[in-house]
Amino acid sequence: MLVLEDVAIQLKSQILLQVNAVIKPGEIVTLMGPSGVGKSSVLAAIAGLLPETFRLSGKIILNQHNITNMPAHLRHTGLLYQDALLFEHLDVTGNIVFAMPGKKHRDKKQYARQLLEQVGLGEMAQRPVSTLSGGQASRVSLVRTLASEPAALLLDEPFSKLDSATRHSTRQWVFEKIREAGLPALLVTHDEEDAAATGDKIIKV
Amino acid sequence: MTLSKMCIIGLLCWAGLTGQVSATTVQFFGWGGSPQVNQYLQWVSKQTQARYDITVNHVKLADTSDAVTRVLAEKAAGNLANGSIDLLWINGENFAAMKQSHLLLSDWAGQLPNFALTQPDKNPSMRMDFGVATDGQEAPWGKAAMVFYYNQQQLSSPPTSLAELLDFARQHPGRFAYPLPDDFLGISFLKYAALALNPTRQQLLYQPVTDHALTRITQPLFDYLDTLHPLLWQQGEFFVRQASMLQQLFSDNEILLAFSFTAAEIPAAVSRFDLPKATRTYAMSDGSLSNVHFVAIPFNSARANAAKKVANFLLSPEAQAYKQRLDVWGDETVLAIDALPAAQQKLFQVQSHSSALAPGAYQKLLAEPHASWAPALRKAWYARYGARL
Amino acid sequence: MGFTTVLSLARYLFYIILLVPVAVGVVGVMLPAVGFFPALEQHSLSSEPITRLLAYPGIAKMAGLSLFTALLATLIAFIGTVALLAQFYQRKWLGLIQHGLSPVLAIPHAAAAIAVAFLLAPSGGAARVSAAVTSTALPDTDSLMYDSFGLVIVLALAIKELPFMLLMALGILSQPSVKQRLEGQMRVAQSLGYCHQTSFLKIVFAQLYRQLRLPILAVLAYASASVEIPLILGPQNPPTLAVAIVQWFNYTDLSMRFQASAAAILQVLVTLAAVTVWLIGEKIWQWRFCQQLASGNRRWGSVFVKLLAGILLVCFTLATILLVLSMVGYSVAGYWPFPDLAPVQLTLLHWRSALQALSQPISNTLIMGFVSTSIAVILVLLFLENEQQSDIKRASTSLADKLLFIPLMVPGVAFLYGLVWVRQWLFADALWVPVILAHLIYVIPYVFLSLAVAYRQLDVRYVHVASSLGKSPCQIFLSVKLPILFAPIMVALALGAAISFGQYLPTLLVSGGRLATVTTEAVAIASGASRRLTAVYALMQMLLPLLGFVLAWWLPTFLFNPAKRANASAKRNPAC
Repeated sequence: MLVLEDVAIQLKSQILLQVNAVIKPGEIVTLMGPSGVGKSSVLAAIAGLLPETFRLSGKIILNQHNITNMPAHLRHTGLLYQDALLFEHLDVTGNIVFAMPGKKHRDKKQYARQLLEQVGLGEMAQRPVSTLSGGQASRVSLVRTLASEPAALLLDEPFSKLDSATRHSTRQWVFEKIREAGLPALLVTHDEEDAAATGDKIIKV
Repeated sequence: MTLSKMCIIGLLCWAGLTGQVSATTVQFFGWGGSPQVNQYLQWVSKQTQARYDITVNHVKLADTSDAVTRVLAEKAAGNLANGSIDLLWINGENFAAMKQSHLLLSDWAGQLPNFALTQPDKNPSMRMDFGVATDGQEAPWGKAAMVFYYNQQQLSSPPTSLAELLDFARQHPGRFAYPLPDDFLGISFLKYAALALNPTRQQLLYQPVTDHALTRITQPLFDYLDTLHPLLWQQGEFFVRQASMLQQLFSDNEILLAFSFTAAEIPAAVSRFDLPKATRTYAMSDGSLSNVHFVAIPFNSARANAAKKVANFLLSPEAQAYKQRLDVWGDETVLAIDALPAAQQKLFQVQSHSSALAPGAYQKLLAEPHASWAPALRKAWYARYGARL
Repeated sequence: MGFTTVLSLARYLFYIILLVPVAVGVVGVMLPAVGFFPALEQHSLSSEPITRLLAYPGIAKMAGLSLFTALLATLIAFIGTVALLAQFYQRKWLGLIQHGLSPVLAIPHAAAAIAVAFLLAPSGGAARVSAAVTSTALPDTDSLMYDSFGLVIVLALAIKELPFMLLMALGILSQPSVKQRLEGQMRVAQSLGYCHQTSFLKIVFAQLYRQLRLPILAVLAYASASVEIPLILGPQNPPTLAVAIVQWFNYTDLSMRFQASAAAILQVLVTLAAVTVWLIGEKIWQWRFCQQLASGNRRWGSVFVKLLAGILLVCFTLATILLVLSMVGYSVAGYWPFPDLAPVQLTLLHWRSALQALSQPISNTLIMGFVSTSIAVILVLLFLENEQQSDIKRASTSLADKLLFIPLMVPGVAFLYGLVWVRQWLFADALWVPVILAHLIYVIPYVFLSLAVAYRQLDVRYVHVASSLGKSPCQIFLSVKLPILFAPIMVALALGAAISFGQYLPTLLVSGGRLATVTTEAVAIASGASRRLTAVYALMQMLLPLLGFVLAWWLPTFLFNPAKRANASAKRNPAC
């Protein structure tokens, strides 16, 4: 469960926006509003990546832990952008193996292939990432994030660069996987359709 | 690999490279522009390794004054016993400057066992360097005299005196050059001209220079050069900085007459294809400037004893004879060959080469003027012909 | 030791290596400039060296010559770079040009000067070709070299600078983010009716210049104080200021040290003046350019660019071919009298004797290049990482970028002589450490220049994603940033090694001549009589750094590149 208590983003002395929310496991809450109001900054704040020029107040609680001041890499908050941002120096499997935590899985490569097969991407395992289509890359990107065993998911306009046909199917697929994984997710978008497709709470700013 | 491991490996590599050079390595600083000399010194190093377990490392200088600078800097920094130079190839002005600044070790050269083989009492030039007493601060190493060379295919009868040289320049404008007076050969040319143009006043040049003497000597000299310069290579606008450039220009026929202080380097350069086959060497009839070159030990050398051993080896009949071989370096020995045992005399027999100077070609040897003349002539030259750097 | 500690240590070390030796060296030169030189029993301050210097005949001409040659050479190289880019940006030829020019970048200045002399001497390659036409028997007595305006210096400097600028520009343009954006903008401009060259000039160039300015100023500063090229090719009555300084420092008359030191301070001012003139020119150009941007002229500069790029390519190719031919020719030549285009006979004698003499120098060169470049690259990477981590970006960026210039701006002739004293005093016995330190002073700035752009422009979201995947800053540094930046890192390594290979004065002065490298040997042998041996040495000087660049291009296609690997395996198994 991801709880945002009076989370406010300030630039200089001006408050950009303030959010209160409780996101349950498997729930996808949408943060909606026009560009430039600081929606993405909220995600950055939750992930611990807010630039120092901004100031954060309020509390961020993830699974009963207050993570407000925790270093980013210890927070377990998976982040997805509109670009898949797959590492080009690694192939698809390599990207997923990279995301796996610690030494938990003895044969990481095989486990990565399993993960890919589970979501129907088994054939891509050996492909260099630069050969993937936009929709494929988005999916691999989500698999990679899930492989890191996050406690919450943060999605920053994840579908805005896809064409309308792929967009629809990718969105369905991503939401399905998030629900299957039972993760709390916060979606930032300015697209009404994205918001409607979640079927969950929408916070307008 | 973690970062700290990387750092440690880096540090280890670093530390591994800081090791000192072996205690029995003698750092020999000397001009490095001649392949023959460089190869000769490699041979020397092999010999001293075998005999005394001493390696001679030849630090090749573009200019001997770099080494003077170095010792001076060491002295300034308070390095009085651990200098980087152990043995230095030197003579003339560089020696005079170092002697004056007390940068050299004294009273050692006369005690080298092989020094006696030069018969210094009969050959005063073994203890005099450009009119300055060596005071045992340097040991003689070799002898040289100025020779001229030309290409037989381009020139049938070369000039044999300074006066003829001017005629030659008039006939072939732009085909003769001499280096800047900063260069050893450049100042030597001026000294030769000064001696040859002042036949009745030569003794002035063998005493420390005075303003009066300088005016008297330079008057005919500058008259001559004023006429010669517009007829030089590049119309005398640009002078080569180094003597060795003359050889390159000659080799490409840019100039048709050149000169050198090491007669033996000419046949050697022909064998190495650096000079044309038709090159012929000769000596001027109005005199050939000649001098001795030495090795010295800086005052702060950390390995002075090893350096003395090397200097003594350089004076040995074996090393001197090998040095004199035309296919090695061809530098004339400083030993008094006549006084050596017959077996050793045999080592010094010469081979003939069509480009080499014929035996007995020197008609008249001119000793080097007093060391104070070089800076004075140089200064007067720059004052008259502009500061070329 | 934590990653953060390592980073901040690296930051301090970076600044120390960049600044301390230069500062100490400058002090060591400034003291004699004001008459203080204990070694020559001068213990009191006086303005005499300075007044003597200012009274020196032709001193203004020397300074003017330095200024003129540096500015003109840099301007030519800059215009050439822009023309080549404008003509060939996004075209196949650009890759060819890049690969063709980069070797020139790797050539040390000394070798470049020797090569140009081989080409332009009255009996050089160019003259032989023309003599073959006119059937002249003796070389011309007039020479293109040593002209009193230093035009040959300008030519040689421009030849050296152009590849550096071009490579820097290509480095900037090949950033994934920049590339995509600019390509889009180029398309837009062309769709608005601007022709290819004009689109480049009006759109890409304007954005490129801001990032290219630092490297340009660096070459300008270097050119204003370079020694090797004007020494070998320039006039002597008067020479450039830097040449005069070196000559004065080497005078047997030790009291000339005072004047040399005063001149070294003047050299710093000349270099500053060169930079100032460039910056003023930049302002004037900007004003002019803004007008041009609004003019709507869709073909502006296109003819000029086409013409210039064409001429440059032809000249460069011809000159390179002649150069390489004459160097290779001499290196294997037996007798080779003047008008002949080819040697009378061939011999391996020169290569044999050179290789025999060079085995130690080559290994010294390689060790020195490898160690100093590795240290430099590691230090620069850690420094840049620290900059990103500590989020002090803006302040630190501008500070680092300015401080970086100190070793490049303060002419070597000014501080190296001073540094020799310090070495005597601190590292009397050590041999490698001080020389590697001296190399680092020069290697670090170039490595920094070539890495900083790539590093700072790395898409920060990669870092965010990795950190949201639970990776610590150290892990991100090692397994995300370094692999993504592998190609620029390799180029930086090759560049650093090339810079290290080419160092003449630092190696000679700081090691006290005890560490012979290929470059110190080449300069020594260039003062000797054998043009053939000189050719071999100069070729060796070119080959070694070239090797580094070949590796730098070749390795990234195999390491950290699954796409290429996949291609390769697909080629091996056509059935798949």
